[in-house]
Amino acid sequence: MTSYSVSIWPALEAASLTSERSPSLAESTSEQLMERYVDGEAEAFEFLYRRVSPNLMGYLLRLTRNRERAEDLLQITFSKVHRARDSFLKGAPVLPWILAIARRSFLDERRSAQVRTEDLSPDGSLPEQQNEERPLPAELSDALEVALDRLPENYREAIVLTKITGLSVAEAASVLGATETAVKLRVHRGYTQLRKELEQYSRTP
Amino acid sequence: MSMPSPDPLADLPWPKPEAPSEAVSAKICGACTKNLCAKRGMSALGRLSLCLAVSGLVASFGYWVGLRNHRSELGLRLGLYGAVAWGLVQAAVLFIGFAPRRGLLGSRAVRIALAVLVPVLFLAYLSYAAWSYVPFEQFSHGARASHAVLCGLIALGFGAIVGGSVLLAWRGTNPMTPRLSGALAGLVGGIGGAMAVGIGCPSHEAWHLWTAHGLIILALGLLGFGVGRRLLSP
Repeated sequence: MTSYSVSIWPALEAASLTSERSPSLAESTSEQLMERYVDGEAEAFEFLYRRVSPNLMGYLLRLTRNRERAEDLLQITFSKVHRARDSFLKGAPVLPWILAIARRSFLDERRSAQVRTEDLSPDGSLPEQQNEERPLPAELSDALEVALDRLPENYREAIVLTKITGLSVAEAASVLGATETAVKLRVHRGYTQLRKELEQYSRTP
Repeated sequence: MSMPSPDPLADLPWPKPEAPSEAVSAKICGACTKNLCAKRGMSALGRLSLCLAVSGLVASFGYWVGLRNHRSELGLRLGLYGAVAWGLVQAAVLFIGFAPRRGLLGSRAVRIALAVLVPVLFLAYLSYAAWSYVPFEQFSHGARASHAVLCGLIALGFGAIVGGSVLLAWRGTNPMTPRLSGALAGLVGGIGGAMAVGIGCPSHEAWHLWTAHGLIILALGLLGFGVGRRLLSP
């Protein structure tokens, strides 16, 4: 009897708290959700995850250009966030903090991939790098994805962070470890290059 | 007169953020919420206080060494005043360089300015504090040189303790500018070490102060820059 009452009360308490907390969790900022996650609230993590993961996934997809690798990096990033949650300082912006961890994870993964030995193809030769230029698709939105892929990495990152992820220039600069002026310059140059690539779409009626 | 049609490239149709697959999301949420418990680290103020306390402890040790070696009261007092003033600079560097800030104070440019200005100001302070000067040829031989080496090594050891405490106290807190913050940790350590030795060291010779007390701030700044990425990034 005692053990029954002991086991049922936390569950009941949690259920009643959940029904009360859900609306406030939905209204909370990412920073407040992070605070509650650090305090051990599992539901706050789920809300936080739902809020930041699309932005994070979009960023990683455009860094890696490969869905599987992006999802692997997403898992690595969140495992780092989970381990380092006690070192998250109150008042720090969450999304740039997580994006910076994701970026570091990507750079670490790429560095270790570079030192790995290259696998030979079945006929015993080294695989060739695929460099051929893809033609731009007819739809502007699809063409934009291809044109984004063709941008140099530093331009692409700056554009993805500011235009797709929605960070301010200052936040993007903190994620990239660059000055705000450098980020503005990269966005401007990248945008100019994109417009040049997509010029044909402005001429079509 | 007909209106020109709007340029479709004026505002590009930026792709929407994409959600990861359900399986991956379930895996991540499962792993991050399993046996979740409160795990709150020290506050920024707590970390800052801890670093200053370590620096104060090292300075107290320098004071004790000065007392044991019968340093003049004036020398000890001036050393302590210097340590307190540079303690304020250490607090400012930690406050701006490590605590999360938005706006201008949180910008990378301010941290870079600090990393450049602090060693320059410290070397200028040492030049001001030097009461005597001997040519480098005389300084680089005999007892003066060996005293400078000994002082430099002790200052390096003290500085490593203070800088190490900064890196450990703020470990994993800064994925954005870990190298820059690491360099600032080294500078804070260098100031702590140099001031602690400065209290106990009787020499006021310019070359001695520049090399034995001043160069370690640069050495520890570079060391902090090197290890910051590993220690300050989660």
